[in-house]
Amino acid sequence: MSYVLQTNQLTKIIDGRELVKDVNLHVKKGEIYGFLGPNGAGKTTVMKMITNLWKPTGGSIELFGETLTPGSCEVLKRMGSIIEFPCFYEHMSGRENLQLHCEYMGCHIPGSVEESLAMLGLTEAAEKPVKRYSLGMKQRLGIARAILCKPELLVLDEPTNGLDPAGIKQVRELFKMLCTEYGITLMISSHMLSEVESIADTIGLLHHGAMVREVSMKEIAGTGTVYIELTVENIKKAAYVLADKLALHNFKISGEQDIRIYDGQADTKEIAGTLALHGVGIVSICRKSESLEDYFLRMTKEAVR
Amino acid sequence: MLKLIRLEWKKNNIVKYICGVAVLALLLCLFLFALAFLGIAEEPDGTLDAAEGMNMISAPVELFTSMSFLIFTSVMLASFLVSPYKNKTMNLMFSYPIKRQKILVAQMAAVWLFNFFALLVTKLLIYACISAGAKTMRSSFEIDVDMGSLSFYVSLLTKTVVIVSMSFIALFVGLAVKSSKATIITSFLLIFLTQANVGDVSLAGNAAVPVILTVVSFLFAGLSVCRVETRDLP
Repeated sequence: MSYVLQTNQLTKIIDGRELVKDVNLHVKKGEIYGFLGPNGAGKTTVMKMITNLWKPTGGSIELFGETLTPGSCEVLKRMGSIIEFPCFYEHMSGRENLQLHCEYMGCHIPGSVEESLAMLGLTEAAEKPVKRYSLGMKQRLGIARAILCKPELLVLDEPTNGLDPAGIKQVRELFKMLCTEYGITLMISSHMLSEVESIADTIGLLHHGAMVREVSMKEIAGTGTVYIELTVENIKKAAYVLADKLALHNFKISGEQDIRIYDGQADTKEIAGTLALHGVGIVSICRKSESLEDYFLRMTKEAVR
Repeated sequence: MLKLIRLEWKKNNIVKYICGVAVLALLLCLFLFALAFLGIAEEPDGTLDAAEGMNMISAPVELFTSMSFLIFTSVMLASFLVSPYKNKTMNLMFSYPIKRQKILVAQMAAVWLFNFFALLVTKLLIYACISAGAKTMRSSFEIDVDMGSLSFYVSLLTKTVVIVSMSFIALFVGLAVKSSKATIITSFLLIFLTQANVGDVSLAGNAAVPVILTVVSFLFAGLSVCRVETRDLP
């Protein structure tokens, strides 16, 4: 498997505080990597180290197969990034800011400035000085700048900050398009799962500076997110019937009356029928799916324990 | 490198500074011309009211131009190098595939070159005005300007280099505490250190001082640059 980006035991300590501890993350080529974690989990710290703004205290970062050193700078040519909030030269117009970026990056793709502006819907505002831009416009200009030079890897720290719902949707589609059409690998951090779940291929969950889980979305979709919730009158008898007659063993009894059956394949009709046949009164039965949100909340809670 | 310097000028709106320098040069020129020929530094009886050793016209010219440009250079250094750290555009600069040291050197060079030429032109303008005035007007100062001699230009160049370089000391302080104000205040202190005299003791006249100062300035410039590669950005 070729990874565009991977970290090995990445650690950052500032003033004796461990901001990030032994993080191993793996971003495959051509995928969208959702980097999740609650506020203060250390997402930005990791991203700052990846873009070489901060230097790791321990561990290493490998970008495009090469280990990042404090003096590395050639590798930055192949990356686009937004870390925290994008900054601009406020007295210059949006277009001038993008042109300046091209000069510094040493990339001269004809028409790329216009194309980026158009992609983010900024063509009309291009001549206005950036200090007149709204928060959302600045954010979009930041994205325009990050994709300007057609990088191989985009590192975006909370890119949808300050955008309205329509803007979020537009940007999300743009990310998907960049990934599928240009083959750009994206690493997007967010504190909201709902933001990345529809586009991400892999999700890394960071909590208190440590990597809790790194899973592909396919994997999550396939396993244990569906369960059947059953409320019965006689819980002991119900459990016996489930195990003995229906051969269902993966269930959990919670409380006096509730049983959760973690077997996605089980048929509710069959369960209801068999239980009734053996004289177990059913109060309710329904199939529930654990949302990704729940899954990650559970993961972070487990990590705390 | 030249390209980096040009980009620095462009994004820091160099036109603003050109206008600033033009105004400064004109004001200095007017003031020093008045000082030399219109008698604003004279007692009512017509004798010159100047300190010992300051009765030559080059003394006030050097003093006022040095003072003004040391401050002007520090202000520029503050806005080219210190403010980017504060408004985070330095984060952006350091995300480019360019060595950080090169970026800082380019920024310093952009300010240095601009002020070097600005100070040179300003001084030439002032001395030219005074030389021209001396032909027709009487001055209570001793006119010690000989624009035809080589030594005049040599001393002009060295003094300009010293003054402009000296602001690197101010920059070092400013970068250390990440404050534009500190940069400018340090430049004021530098003026007191180099131009003022305490009793009979003054550093202004000593020949070794410019050499030492320039060396020290570049040392400080080097210090500002050397550790940037490994240091975290705020």
